[in-house]
Amino acid sequence: MGRLLAACLRRQLLLAVRRPVEVVNPLVFFLLVVMLFPLGIGPDPRQLTEFAPAVLWIVALLATLLAVEGMFRGDFDDGTLEQLVLAPQPLFLPALTYVFAHWLLTGLPLTLLSPLFALMLQLPGKAIGTLMLSLLLGTAVLSLIGGIGAALTVGLKRGGILISLLIIPFYVPVLIFGSAAVQFAAAGNSAQPQLLVLGGMLSLAVALAPFAIAAGLRISVDAG
Amino acid sequence: MWTWFHKFGSPPWLYSIAGSILRWLVPITVILLAVGAVWGLLYAPPDFRQGNSYRIMFVHVPASVVALAGYYVMATAGAVSLIWRMKMADIALRSCAPIGAMLTFLGLLSGAVWGKPTWGTWWVWDARVTSMLVLFFLYVGIIALYEAFDNEELAGKACAVLSLVGTVNIPIIYKSVDWWYSLHQPASIKFTEDSTMDGSMLRPLLLMIVAFYCLFASSLLLYMRSEILRRESSTNWVRKLVLAKAGQGSANAV
Amino acid sequence: MHPVRKQRLLIVCFIVVFSSVAAGLVTYGLRGNINLFFPPSEIVAGKAPIGQNIRLGGMVVDGSLKRSTDSLRVEFEVTDNRATVGVVYEGILPDLFGEGQGVVAAGKLDESGVLQATEVLAKHDENYMPPEVIEAMKEYQEAES
Repeated sequence: MGRLLAACLRRQLLLAVRRPVEVVNPLVFFLLVVMLFPLGIGPDPRQLTEFAPAVLWIVALLATLLAVEGMFRGDFDDGTLEQLVLAPQPLFLPALTYVFAHWLLTGLPLTLLSPLFALMLQLPGKAIGTLMLSLLLGTAVLSLIGGIGAALTVGLKRGGILISLLIIPFYVPVLIFGSAAVQFAAAGNSAQPQLLVLGGMLSLAVALAPFAIAAGLRISVDAG
Repeated sequence: MWTWFHKFGSPPWLYSIAGSILRWLVPITVILLAVGAVWGLLYAPPDFRQGNSYRIMFVHVPASVVALAGYYVMATAGAVSLIWRMKMADIALRSCAPIGAMLTFLGLLSGAVWGKPTWGTWWVWDARVTSMLVLFFLYVGIIALYEAFDNEELAGKACAVLSLVGTVNIPIIYKSVDWWYSLHQPASIKFTEDSTMDGSMLRPLLLMIVAFYCLFASSLLLYMRSEILRRESSTNWVRKLVLAKAGQGSANAV
Repeated sequence: MHPVRKQRLLIVCFIVVFSSVAAGLVTYGLRGNINLFFPPSEIVAGKAPIGQNIRLGGMVVDGSLKRSTDSLRVEFEVTDNRATVGVVYEGILPDLFGEGQGVVAAGKLDESGVLQATEVLAKHDENYMPPEVIEAMKEYQEAES
């Protein structure tokens, strides 16, 4: 079992490294949209500071949403997924490696680059640590939930906007607590409760999402 | 012991039993709705603070309550479909979604109509309204996912999975939105606090809630019957049914 | 162990472990006052952080309102009938604000236990009652006193 998981993970990362454009695209998107907000709102630093936590979190959410669509597509198209579904091992653990690889390639880079965007939006320095921690936990949850949507729609011809429609309602709690954590930190209050709740969400998502993803993958492989 | 349960898996049986239930359920629904509406809209006393504009509550609250309950009915059908691989459960799920979506929409619309004279605004981002909006999108998502699949059986399975994911998330979403709302709106105006209601208003409200539940049940059964006919249109029992009805029709015409 | 049962056991353990961790984290996280909303008695008891944005809720004490003559600065006291906290605010008070009415003030506590408010909102009550019942209640209260 362990060898299967390691092999899966290695494969995902290798494929991604061979096409770095797919990893960089969400990050460029993040940067572009972050740039749009001051252009829309105005350059006044006080206004930007007020919106910064929400904007950073919403844009991270959208970037993740864009990226989850392709989580299973490559392996679905070339038949690897079918092989995995037919294998005797339980599907939920390999499914988890797909999500983990996806997060390593989108959520983690996003988190590491977030201080840069935070500076552009005038987020107070004391909140940057909380920002990174909230994004670290939150993007993992977003990838897990996104994986469910991706698994259910990978076999469909016109996936596209459907996955956003399906998943965004489930993203709401993550956004609420993630954004609140950064807002609290920016106001000088402790964001520990929010971060703990995010951690709890992550744990619950890890507990349940892999099974929904596995079920979705089986359905999609049957459909495709 | 389980035979009665597995009977639900048989389309002709479900079709006929739904028909017999509807024969008395539909009149009851109509009566309850009529009595409840007249009682609430005309006979219940006016509210001391809101006057007569609060009466929209007799539509808004039942619609919202049944919309939420309907989601759990749908999710239960989804669970049954996945565990027992029952096609009829798929049909139940498929039928619940548009009914639930319409009830949620009615709840939101009536809420907006209520909001304008009471708080001066058509829309407010308070906890319950926002959660209702999210519920609406959950319903729409199920409908959209169903339509996206070419194969009906797989569509049913996918929607069953999605509805179960939603079940886990609804309490989480509600709690989050509730907390978020209390954070940003420090209890200066409690928009949907209705825990202290006088009996003369509570009674017609409860009647309307029961009426809406009946409405949901009758709509569901009607929808399921037409869905069963559509799916089984090439089978013998449906053919016999149609011919019998056609025979009756021509006999009446002649 | 039978391989299928072993798989099912693995699945169940996996779900149980991570769900329990989730429940634990959420419970621990929500144990604190995540809204930073305090009644006066908790502030007097020292449960509220100093120098951080908090919210205070209660009733305005009758006769405690002091308006400054040359600025918008006002002072008043808020009580929950068990303890009282002083509030200082610079700005226009909302229409529904009044002595003996409910109020919520947001701001920072200073060392002396006074809330330096940045926002004051008047609290509003929603009860559905027919006017006759309200009248009857008032009459009953008057008859009592």
